Amino acid sequence: MKIKKNGEIRTAYFYISPLLTIILLFILIPIVGTFINSLYRDITYLPSRFTGFTNYADLIKLSDFWNSLKFTTLFTAVSVSLETVLGISFALLLKEVFTGRSFLRTILLIPWAIPTAISARLWQLMYNYNYGLLNYFLDVTHTGAKVNWLGTAHGAFWAITIADVWKTTPFMTLILLAGLQTIPDELYEQAMVDNATMWKRFLYITLPLLRPALVVALIFRTADALRIFDLVYVLTGGGPAGSTRTVSILGFHSFVNGDFGTGSAVSIIIFLLVFIFSLLYIRAWRLKETL
Amino acid sequence: MRILYPFILSLLLFISSCSRPRELTFMVGGSPNELLYWEKVIGEFHEKTGIKVKLIRQPTDTDQRRQGIVIALRSKSRDPDVFLMDVVWVGAIASSGWLEPLDSYIERDNLDLNKFFSRVVDEVDRYRGNVMALPVYVDGGLLYYRKDLLAKYGYTAPPETWEELLQMAKKVQARERRKNKNFWGFVWQGAMYEGLICTFLEFSSSFGGGITIDSTGRIVVNIPQNVEALKFMQDLIHRYKISPPNTYTELKEEEVRLIFDQGNALFERNWPYAWGLHEKNPELKDKVGITKLPHRKGKRSASTLGGWHIGISRFSDVKNEAWEFVKFVTSYEKQRDFALNLGWNPGRVDVYADTVIEKTAPHLVLLKDVFENAVARPSLPYYSGVSQILQKHLNSVLSLSETPQEALEKAQNDIDEFIKKYED
Repeated sequence: MKIKKNGEIRTAYFYISPLLTIILLFILIPIVGTFINSLYRDITYLPSRFTGFTNYADLIKLSDFWNSLKFTTLFTAVSVSLETVLGISFALLLKEVFTGRSFLRTILLIPWAIPTAISARLWQLMYNYNYGLLNYFLDVTHTGAKVNWLGTAHGAFWAITIADVWKTTPFMTLILLAGLQTIPDELYEQAMVDNATMWKRFLYITLPLLRPALVVALIFRTADALRIFDLVYVLTGGGPAGSTRTVSILGFHSFVNGDFGTGSAVSIIIFLLVFIFSLLYIRAWRLKETL
Repeated sequence: MRILYPFILSLLLFISSCSRPRELTFMVGGSPNELLYWEKVIGEFHEKTGIKVKLIRQPTDTDQRRQGIVIALRSKSRDPDVFLMDVVWVGAIASSGWLEPLDSYIERDNLDLNKFFSRVVDEVDRYRGNVMALPVYVDGGLLYYRKDLLAKYGYTAPPETWEELLQMAKKVQARERRKNKNFWGFVWQGAMYEGLICTFLEFSSSFGGGITIDSTGRIVVNIPQNVEALKFMQDLIHRYKISPPNTYTELKEEEVRLIFDQGNALFERNWPYAWGLHEKNPELKDKVGITKLPHRKGKRSASTLGGWHIGISRFSDVKNEAWEFVKFVTSYEKQRDFALNLGWNPGRVDVYADTVIEKTAPHLVLLKDVFENAVARPSLPYYSGVSQILQKHLNSVLSLSETPQEALEKAQNDIDEFIKKYED
């Protein structure tokens, strides 16, 4: 019996070995490599030298680092919450049967399908002070002077958040819609018989059964938001005055400066952030599952 | 045995063919038309010397160009043999010991260095006394102005001082606004990027300050003249309101050029490249003038030095051929061709007196004076890090989140702290 089991395990390992190799080669080794790199003073024009955790210690001392961390987490919290609320609403709406539903479902995906750099440039043109769409409307309606949308820290924050919500709500909607479709209709029929209100049906049927899909969507979106780079890089370049520098942009600047050690340290910190958030989501979900 | 002869023969041929054509590798980036032109240059070089050149194309983006070269040099790769470097990296690459000193070649071939901008060669190309590179083309900030508008409001000459520029811009802007709400007195690069360092260097130097390196090798930015200059930059936007509020968020070279091109500005700070484009614009034809950037009363005008330099890798296996190529690219004829075909400003001074140039590109003659007095950004291994610190604090002042005094104090502290990492 035992022998047979060992054999089975061996066969199992044999079958998953290609996958393990790929994970090892393309995920584990780069992460470990980046971590090792982050322990060195590795600067383009200088000989490299082992410095332990100096790169991390230097980062923690830097106010820029804390500002970027604050900005990134705040952005993540606000944008992911908005996307979740909008995503659930759109998904519920698109689940209903009405004429034009498939058309709506298709065009909903457009923002998600446009490459981020391009949509960021589009938003930048809309926010533009001289010839932007927003200021054009202000001008036409004579409601007041033009606004320099990207010119203040608050303005830039909301500009980025709105662009991100516009772009990624479709993704949220798509995953949640798939989740909604796995909920059997009988449950709702039963609830109707019991005279449950719409709100109660949502709270006690839809939400709990949507949870697996929701957690997946949240993990994806949170990880993406914590790593955000392209949208901000194109839209504000980290400005005004560095107020919208995300952690990724900070790391990017280190690499551009030829400081690979610090850049690697920043990458490891982003990795840890995403890792912790993902764990939290999974933990929170499992805890509730057992209740 | 006889059966082996063809085999041995072909082997010998193979070996000789491996070593014989000493192919040169040249790494260069730029816009598509520039790369096309380089191909032509390589063809001409091959015809003249019989040396084949392989072109490694790089992107247009300056940072990516630097990374491409640095990665190759860091791994001591034999290729590329020759490459172009931006003004600000020459010092850094030279200090890493990756450039072949050119002095012995210059001496051997009797190349006359006085034919180049000597200030440029001294400030950019020399490292510890040795010449490490040669200028291929030079660049510098200029003031563009609307001749027709100045004449319309009774001014006979462009401004020489910042005070004059301010007066003219205020008056012309106020009057022009009656017809054109989008009209601005003075547009310049103020977004958070390298261009902001260039404009700041011009403002500060023309106020008697600048970005300097003291005797201990420390970068000094926090001096009273710089505070004054920075205050003036801030005032242009927020107090005098002759520069648009999006100066510090959106205005880079092209944005600035477009505002001026659309007839929405009186003065523009830009690089020489904008000249050709303004000239091509039928609405601005013959209405645009260029001059030196203004200065504070009693101080000197300053223009930030830009441009690209050619150097040879220390790890090159074909250094003599590489030197031939450097000589070719910096020769009088080629430099003139670059000026006429690509609009590049020659790194050689003697080309500016060329009769063909005088006829077809008369603005170059004025530029010569500008380049001779250009100020270079500090040429250091950690320049790009210093630049980023400065960009952030300068931009903070323009967006009113820091005062000029505190911004420069903070920048100075941050720079001092940052440089520690580079000390052994």
